[in-house]
Formats: sequence, C-alpha cells, structure tokens
Amino acid sequence: MDALNNVFVNIAYAIRGLFADPQSVWANLVMSVINFIIVVVIVVLAALILILLERKVAGWTSQRPGPNRLGPRGWFQTIADALKLMGKEDITPAGADKFIFKVAPMIIFSLPMMTLAVIPYGSGMAPIDLDLGIFYFLAISAISTVAFVMAGWGSNNKYSLLGGMRAVAQMISYEIPLLFSLLGVVMITQSFNLGVIVQDQKNIPFILIQPLAFVIYIIAGMAELNRAPFDLVEADQEVVAGPFTEYSGLRWGLFFLGEYGNMTAVSALAATVFLGGWQGPGFFPGWVWFWMKVGVIIFFIMWARWTFPRIRIDHLMHLAWKVLLPLSILNIFLTGLGIYIYRLVMGG
Amino acid sequence: MFGKGLLTGLGITFKRMVGPNITEFYPEQKPNLPTRVRSSMGLDRSKCISCNMCAMACPNGVIKLTSEKDENNKKVLKSYHMDVGRCLFCGMCAEVCPTKALTVTQEYENSVYEPGDMQWDMIKRAERKGKVG
Repeated sequence: MDALNNVFVNIAYAIRGLFADPQSVWANLVMSVINFIIVVVIVVLAALILILLERKVAGWTSQRPGPNRLGPRGWFQTIADALKLMGKEDITPAGADKFIFKVAPMIIFSLPMMTLAVIPYGSGMAPIDLDLGIFYFLAISAISTVAFVMAGWGSNNKYSLLGGMRAVAQMISYEIPLLFSLLGVVMITQSFNLGVIVQDQKNIPFILIQPLAFVIYIIAGMAELNRAPFDLVEADQEVVAGPFTEYSGLRWGLFFLGEYGNMTAVSALAATVFLGGWQGPGFFPGWVWFWMKVGVIIFFIMWARWTFPRIRIDHLMHLAWKVLLPLSILNIFLTGLGIYIYRLVMGG
Repeated sequence: MFGKGLLTGLGITFKRMVGPNITEFYPEQKPNLPTRVRSSMGLDRSKCISCNMCAMACPNGVIKLTSEKDENNKKVLKSYHMDVGRCLFCGMCAEVCPTKALTVTQEYENSVYEPGDMQWDMIKRAERKGKVG
C-alpha cells in the first residue's frame, strides 16, 4: 500500500534523480513544467468527464438514460460534442471590444489550472506546496468575476452586460461567506497551508468539527460557480445566456471547460479542507481517496442543480447577506470559543 | 424545520435517479401503444360495398373512391384514395362503415419523404401489407 500511496512521489524522485544535482534549478524547472502539464491534463480530463456526467445525471433525475448513442451506453458523447464545437464558426460581434472579448474565455479557463495547482492530491503530492494555499486559492478564484464582466462588457450586448453585472453582484456577495466558512478550519489548524490542513485531519475530518462551515461552503461554492440554483448569471429565460450570449465555437467551449474546471477546483478544496483530503482508511491509496471525495461533492453539486429551481435575485442577495454571512460569523465565533475553552481545559 | 423542503426535493430526485428509466429506445424497442391510439387506416377490399358513406362522413374530404358495377349489378370497389396529409384520424369513416371494411389501425411509422407520398392508395397498401385492418 505504501508503494501505491507514493507511486507518483517516487516517479518524481526518479525524474529528479536523472539530474546531476536533484535540487538544481534545472531539475526544479523540469518538475514545475511536468506538474503544470499534469494540472492541465487534470482540468481537461475533469471537464471532459464532467460534461458527460452532467448530462447523465440530468437524465437520471428525469428518468431518462441520458446520452446513449455514441460508444457503450453513450460514454463517448463528449468526443462528438468537442468535435461539434471545433467545427463551429468563430464569431466576433461587430461592435465588440475585440481584445477583451477574446481574452475573457482564456482567463476563465486558466483559473482552474492555477487554483488546482495548490491542492494536495496525495501525501506530498501538491504540485505547488504553498504556505498561503487557501488564501491563494480564494484570491485566484475571485478573478473569475473580472472575466465574467469582461465577457459581458466586451460582447456589446445588453443581455451579456446584464449577466456580467449579475455575476459581479452574486460572486462578490458569496465570496464573503465562502471565505469566512474556511476561516474556522484555519483557526483550528493555525495554517493556510492545505497540506498541513490535510495532515491535521488524520483522526477526524473537519466536517465533523465544522458542519455548519461545510454547509455554508457548499452553498456559497455553488453560488460562486454560477450553477443552478444560483445560475442568475446565465439565466436563459431572463438574460439569454448572460456573458456567453455572443460566444460561439471553441471560445464558448472554453467557458464551458472553465466552468467544469472551476467546479472541480471548488470540490477539491471542499474535499481537502472538510473531508480530509487524501486521508482515509488504508484500503485505497491516498490519491484514490482524494478523487473519490471530490467525485462525491461534484455529484452532490450536480444533484442539487437538477433538483432545485432557480432562486430569485433578491432572495439570492438575502441569502448571502442576511443568512449565510451571520451564520459564518457565528461559526467563527463558536470556533474561537471552542478553541479558548479547549486551551483552558488542556492548559495549552 | 427550515430547509426541510430542500431535503425532500433531493430525496425525490435521488429516488428517480436510482429508479428505472421510463424511456423507450424507439428504433430498437417498439413502443407499447395505448389501445386508443389512432394512427393509421386499413381497408379490407373484399368487405367494401362502395357505399361512399366513409367519404361522406369525413370532415376533411380525405377519402375519394370509385366503383364499377359487375355482372350481378353489384358495386365493386375500383380505387380508394386517402389524402392522409389532411386526415385527422378521427375515425368517423370507420365508425360509419356498415361492413367494417374500413378500420382504424395502430401502425405509426407513417413518415414519408415526399408530400405526394401522403396520397395513400388504400388497395395497394392493403395488398403490400399482406394483411387487412
């Protein structure tokens, strides 16, 4: 089991061993490039699998089998989808702000790669072991707001702009409870480093200590991802497709990949911070545990999407500012109180 | 409890998810049609007495039939055409038919490529299908 657990770490050591000095600049550079490629592959693979899984889950909830034509039980459908997207014409609207219009999908797609780079996929398997991991993660994922506004503004379309504005209102509001919900865990572990947070969950995952924070994180995370029931940004009946209205072909595909990449990133952070990351009973290697936990959270997010109707925009703001924010502050207060009492009792 | 409805909703969709699909894979599996489906017409030429009542009963004037008299001075059906593009499948023609020569049937694969193909020659159809009604 140890060998399986450390298989990727050992491969990394082997690659480093090819260099005369395993810690030299060149060795580090090569490892960084390899890590980057791995993260890109993770994002693309996750998106490809999740696009199909989303349609399958949508089918199952409405008692259909989902896509079922291409490949065994339709599991190759994504290939056809990707080919279709590639074959589409790349349209830039006449009045568009061309640079902003073209850059926005690239930013969206690059964000999950940057955020997934700090997640520890297994024991010692974080592509970048950052001391400010959570902080970095939240800061990077907040940039996606800007990209949505860029897409909305650059399209020169009123629905796109409305969608972009909604994205700002919604994502900035939900950023705060999201951040505060993670703060409880940071208070307990006294560290922003995701690796340390996973180490500290050796005996008990933080979801049992911080259940309220976990619920707040999942709700705020779904709102951050602009997924139903919080898909006000791309509410079809109200603003066509929001910022994506004017996009076609691969640029639209990048938005799509970015959405699923971000979903993977949010789920990965939830699995790391609340579900114990790669810690788990011994019968699977750590990285298998990690991806299983991520899968469960992704499935829950999809399940919620195909269950709940869209929330009204005033209710959305109400939920963020009047419910989730006070609850998250209460959670921080209770956590602080708990830590204080624990220290008093243990004499720490 | 606050939020109880959300949990109920999740429970319902989960039950749907693990439950059986209600989809029928149409080209591979033939659907079980309800008994009251009316989707096609069938003619038994030997029973038809060319009384023209079906054509009179039809609200859209879909049915055109011609007949000739045989040596016993009885009417024999010569041609029977239906313009199915205008047919409602209301079944009034079959209802009014005194010998039950014309019946409503449940064949449903009636799509055609050309508009002209919707002019059904009922005698030929009956012969081609090798069955009546």
